Amino acid sequence: MVRLTIDGSEVEVPEGTTILKAAETAGIRIPTLCYHKRLPPIESCNMCIVEIEGEEDPVNSCAAPVSEGLVVTTKSKALHEKRTANLKKILKHHPLDCPVCDKAGECELQDIVYEFGIEDVPYEPRKVKRDDTYSTTLIRYWADRCILCGRCVAACRDLKQIGALEIQGEDENARIVVDPDKCKSCGECLMVCPTGALTENLSKYKGRPWMVKRVWTTCSYCGCGCQFQLNVLDNRVIGITTDVDTGVNRGSVCDKGRFGYEYIGDESRLKKPLIKENGAFREASWDEALDLVAEKFKAIRDEHGPDAIAGLTSAKCTNEENFLFQKFIRAVIGTNNVDHCARL
Amino acid sequence: MSVEIMAESKKMYLNMGPHHPATHGVLRIELELEGETIVNATPRIGYLHRGIEKLAENRNYQQVIPLTDRLDYASASANNMGYCVTVENLMGIEVPKRAQYLRVIMAEFARIMGHHLWIGTHALDIGAMSVVFYAFRDREMIMDINEEIAGYRLTPTFFRIGGVAHDATPKFIEMVRDFVKWFPKGLDGYHKLLTENKIWTTRTMDIGTISAEEAVNYGLTGPSLRGSGVAYDLRKAFPYSSYDDFDFQIPVGDKGDVYDRYLVRMEEFSQSLKIIDQAIENLPEGPVNVDNPWISNPDLDEVQKDISALIRRFMIHVKGPVAPEEEVYTAVEGAKGELGFYLVGDGSEHPFRLKIRSPCFYLASALPRLMIGHMVADAIAIIGSIDVVLGEIDR
Repeated sequence: MVRLTIDGSEVEVPEGTTILKAAETAGIRIPTLCYHKRLPPIESCNMCIVEIEGEEDPVNSCAAPVSEGLVVTTKSKALHEKRTANLKKILKHHPLDCPVCDKAGECELQDIVYEFGIEDVPYEPRKVKRDDTYSTTLIRYWADRCILCGRCVAACRDLKQIGALEIQGEDENARIVVDPDKCKSCGECLMVCPTGALTENLSKYKGRPWMVKRVWTTCSYCGCGCQFQLNVLDNRVIGITTDVDTGVNRGSVCDKGRFGYEYIGDESRLKKPLIKENGAFREASWDEALDLVAEKFKAIRDEHGPDAIAGLTSAKCTNEENFLFQKFIRAVIGTNNVDHCARL
Repeated sequence: MSVEIMAESKKMYLNMGPHHPATHGVLRIELELEGETIVNATPRIGYLHRGIEKLAENRNYQQVIPLTDRLDYASASANNMGYCVTVENLMGIEVPKRAQYLRVIMAEFARIMGHHLWIGTHALDIGAMSVVFYAFRDREMIMDINEEIAGYRLTPTFFRIGGVAHDATPKFIEMVRDFVKWFPKGLDGYHKLLTENKIWTTRTMDIGTISAEEAVNYGLTGPSLRGSGVAYDLRKAFPYSSYDDFDFQIPVGDKGDVYDRYLVRMEEFSQSLKIIDQAIENLPEGPVNVDNPWISNPDLDEVQKDISALIRRFMIHVKGPVAPEEEVYTAVEGAKGELGFYLVGDGSEHPFRLKIRSPCFYLASALPRLMIGHMVADAIAIIGSIDVVLGEIDR
């Protein structure tokens, strides 16, 4: 265990802890922008700087490890001025997109700018305006909004072990570049992006965070059981939100979980039972449809035996529906011929 | 039916309202009559309850301001003044001088507007039907002034936390000066129609009399209290928003009857006009919003050029300032009396609890005491004289 002093309070933490985490145990909050709980420190924003007694320059607390007897100051006038200057540097080329940006309202950049009460950063547009889609049509990259924090690069490389992203170019022209062969559209980069530089390109309906209802659910697609919230606007699912502290997935999901919600409200889903008559489907009542199915199933089972019937269900049903389904096939029909799309 | 039973049934129950042209809103009064004389009166309220106090708990501090406009909707800006002063007390914000003067002008115009509605409807109920047209002619001039500066006629919502929405335009100043020049003639017109009118004095003198001590006991405030002889006005007692810069007097009545309350309000017309005159002539230069990046909205032209201004404007509208975990009670002199706001902050951008002390609530609760012993026609005069607005009673 290492003992150190942060803002006058003594803290004792295991060796190898960063100053940022040590301050957290003491209840002291240091402002951060590029730091993310699940990623190794990136040190691209320089917001988490702290002063160390004996050192001239401040250090990034997200990466600096603790040492015995260290005396750290996290709040001072000089530090506030340096942090403000760093933030203004980040903001200089940030486009005036808040009213049309998807992320506005839950944007970490907005939050930290408001927290610091920043005034007077006249916008200087970049010389070349650029934006285009990513390698996949599901994710859109707004190169002008990107603050080059590097979170997406770290997430793709360290969380998903894929490494499809890279920062290329210098100064004003720096941007994220995708390797189209490696990218799997898992949306991990979407999850960690602090601004609206990476947005989902799937749902044509968008809603501001205070308009949208968030409902916790378990992904229905496979046995992993990832936890996320469905974003519901006017009774329509328009996206998902994950939380870095919840579930076994701790915020990550695969591309099916992230983008596979459109079937829920798809227009072509049946709303009424249909019965085929003379080669064409016609609408029927539930009673009529169920009676017909029961009658036919009974006839087939009586004539050819229960193994003549098989059941195939899918991940797009809830767990409860799947349980009933297999109970029906096994106990009611009386056969073991039941399977699920996830097994294929 | 035998003669004894007929002789016993003397009391008649008459339900006055809520749909009634003379109750100044949806006020329902259950009258127990013996013949024409009122033996008991029970006011029933709640027909205009909209849950403003509960709605306030789900909105941030800036978003509550339009809700307060709709309390005493006859004099809307005075409610804004009360709420904004309370929030500024809670958060420790100092409003710049120019904004304070503009607020005083809007609040005093609101008082005049409220009194216009009062004189028009009070006289109309008693039978002097011409007065309402003259009163509303002048009221329209004030509504034009409201429209010029805020865009709305009746409920301007011109106030913001930390100041006002934007600066006064030259046209506004001109319109205010024109009104100040015209209104004494208009006021003189109402006096000529009513003050020495024999019918008016017969209908209003010695009706609904309440002594000073009883008025204080009932919690009455405002012109109804001052009509009974108590010189209590929050603008003098606990000055707010630079009211101590202005020279004005508080009219006080004698007996506490309907006529005295009428005279008090008539004089308040002139005194409010005096305050407006002084404020518009001595309007100080300066900003109209507190210099605080977390509270004041940046201007629209700044927002279109500066990214930090855009972000701040977005966050102020979406989140807004945060109140400390404290509670405060502040009251201002609304058109009807002491309008108080009890605000509990909980460290977030929503109020934890907003309780509104409505002056008309206490006035309505004193109705039985004022009405008992009088006749039904006097009841109409009494309701008019206390000048209740149901939006404030029911919230």
